[in-house]
Amino acid sequence: MNQPSAMKTELSRAADLELAEATLRRVAALPAPAGLEARVHAALEKAPRHAKVLPWPVAAHGGGTPNWLRGAAAAAIVAVIAGGSWGIYARVQPGEPSRAVTLPRVNATGGFANAGAMRTPQTLSAPAVNAQPKPAQTNAATPKPVAPVKKHTTAVR
Amino acid sequence: MEIAPGAVRDQTRQDDQQAALAALVDEYASTLYRVAFSVLRNAADAEDAVQEAFLRVLRHRDTLGEVRDHRVWLIRIVWNIVLDRKRRAKTRPETDDIADLARVLPARGLTAEERAQARQQHDRALRCVEQLPAKEREVMLLSAFEELNSVEISEVLGITESSVRSRLFRARNLLSDLMGRRRETK
Repeated sequence: MNQPSAMKTELSRAADLELAEATLRRVAALPAPAGLEARVHAALEKAPRHAKVLPWPVAAHGGGTPNWLRGAAAAAIVAVIAGGSWGIYARVQPGEPSRAVTLPRVNATGGFANAGAMRTPQTLSAPAVNAQPKPAQTNAATPKPVAPVKKHTTAVR
Repeated sequence: MEIAPGAVRDQTRQDDQQAALAALVDEYASTLYRVAFSVLRNAADAEDAVQEAFLRVLRHRDTLGEVRDHRVWLIRIVWNIVLDRKRRAKTRPETDDIADLARVLPARGLTAEERAQARQQHDRALRCVEQLPAKEREVMLLSAFEELNSVEISEVLGITESSVRSRLFRARNLLSDLMGRRRETK
């Protein structure tokens, strides 16, 4: 039943393939443009014949590199490297001491540490009252203590 | 002034190489152009590829004497050049070169209507070839050249002859499928 249609499909496949191959053959057979060979010859004429190697001036005049020249070249390289290093060293100043804040130490027994303070106020024990009077201050700027008022000794009339 | 015999020998050798290269250009430039054009589909690009191929030969002219088959060797050189160019051209926006190519294909002795129909068929075929996987497409393109047999195609592609045959078989099957599908959608 399906044989005629299968054969038809097969034939059309073959025809399609033949058509595609014929197209490719036509593309492959397209002629080259006129004067192609002449242009290729011209391009080859323009191309450099030999690889260019820059000659080393001394070696080009015969003989190897003299020792003094090698020494001078080495000295020049050393001078350049040393000069560069010195330039970098001279420009970079040693840094200031670190301003980092040191953290307060924590007592091993717990609680607050004094955080490096010179005087630690006693906050737990009550302050002791000093019985002795304070010495008079000699500073002129401070107001002088008012002299004690003399008591009237006259009798009341 | 005395001329050293070595210098004379060198000059003679260079002249011989030059003459051999010129002969290669005269004989194979056209073939190389057609190979390049079948891939690049652009006359200027194909000509550039041919020139580049011969410039490569010029750089390696010392090895010319060792080459067994100059034709296949040159086709291999230009083939590698055009594949490289095609790969690089992929980054550029695609142009509809297939339509242009279908237009320039010869259609002598046909009426205007037949010519238009042939152009459509060429267009369809070329678009289907373009859809083939790269390996199959390459074998298909090279097999279209009458001057290349399967052994020479294998030398150009650097694969075995049996690989060429199997790729060609696959390419033909795929191509007829694609052509049929494209015909049905029209």
